[in-house]
Amino acid sequence: MIFTQACVILVERERLWDLLMDVPTVGRCVPGIEAIEAVEERAYKGRLGVRIGPIRLSLAGTMAIEEQDRTAWRARIRADATDRRLGGGIRARMTLTLTPAEAGTRLHIETDLTVLGKIGEFGQPIIQKTADALLEEFVRNLQSALGA
Amino acid sequence: MNAFDYRAPRAVDEALAILGEYGEDAKVIAGGTALVTMMRQHLVRPGCLVSLRAVQGLDRIEATNGALRLGALVTHREAEVSPLVRERLPVLAETFRRVASVRIRHMATIGGALAHADPNQDPPVTLMALGARVEIWGARGRRELPLEEFFRDYYESALEPGELVTAVTVPVGPPRSGATYVKFLPRTADDYATVAVAATVTLEPDGERCREARIALGSVGVTPLRGRTAEALLAGERLRESLLRAAGEAAKGEVDPLSDHRGSAAYKREMTAVMVGRALAQAWESAQRTARATG
Repeated sequence: MIFTQACVILVERERLWDLLMDVPTVGRCVPGIEAIEAVEERAYKGRLGVRIGPIRLSLAGTMAIEEQDRTAWRARIRADATDRRLGGGIRARMTLTLTPAEAGTRLHIETDLTVLGKIGEFGQPIIQKTADALLEEFVRNLQSALGA
Repeated sequence: MNAFDYRAPRAVDEALAILGEYGEDAKVIAGGTALVTMMRQHLVRPGCLVSLRAVQGLDRIEATNGALRLGALVTHREAEVSPLVRERLPVLAETFRRVASVRIRHMATIGGALAHADPNQDPPVTLMALGARVEIWGARGRRELPLEEFFRDYYESALEPGELVTAVTVPVGPPRSGATYVKFLPRTADDYATVAVAATVTLEPDGERCREARIALGSVGVTPLRGRTAEALLAGERLRESLLRAAGEAAKGEVDPLSDHRGSAAYKREMTAVMVGRALAQAWESAQRTARATG
């Protein structure tokens, strides 16, 4: 499924861009991130915990920045992760775009998300809502990391 | 399925002690219609199943002043065919009849349905419209919550780890009242609803104007919901087509459906308006009949 999300972060575009491209640092702002480390330039591995009702997912996988265009203020990110215990996983392709907002910078995220296996059958209807809740908390964390 | 311990306490106290011992690793099981499916899919892997089957005293349906109390282990089928439920709360018996198939209704319990907190189930919708309260026991004793406060999120309730649903208490409708449960099922008869609406209407002594209406909505959000904006339009009014349409429109603004294979969020929102109108008309007419019958 493809869905888009947007939020405004009260910081200038350059600073937000630099933070977003610093994956280990920005990773700490993602709710549920349990580990994240660089494996090579622009490629990372990590683990994310997400709870959907009675189900706890522990997604382990990789993330790579496939495109980083500071003139267009656009980045494309690929993430693949699986939950070995539950037998299922996610495949996400995200495009992040930064545009100036009245105050601060607007972060626009387009996500093409595939949820695989049993997690998908149970979680499909709730994916967008879970993603929205994650983004909301992410923005709060980001904002406090920026000290703004 | 994973290996797990299995315990079958004979009393609520004993069940609570076991739940305390295992903490979040324990899952309570009664009919197992929801939990076993999730376990087979490896979605949940409890370290211990605490079966309530042998617990005494949780399988009764009793009339208590102005209400019916249904124990957590009462099955959907027992509630459906209970003479007491059929006489005092026919809408509730009818709602249980609409759940899945008769085989599932023979296994699934009322407490299990509530604790599972699946937003697509039938009974919670009617129970919410009727003003039911959930009785919960935990290490710190007994507490009671109205259903609106019990359901918190997608498959999440206010139950804390170590707590048990022990009963649900449902007020019997006042005089001159009617209630209905409308389940929109575009696919098969044993499916979950695409949109479900339960409505109650209580009339003024004139037998025409609405004193109070309650609307509960199922399958149109992460929990069952009350349609309070729509309800507020009805007090003091007489039944007429434009009022039903306005209430339906108001209810649309209160739902937040999830898109799934039963329909898109937009479709479910539109159907909410239609079903709220139908449910209100039926509940209203039933209240008028009751008012006429009792003079």
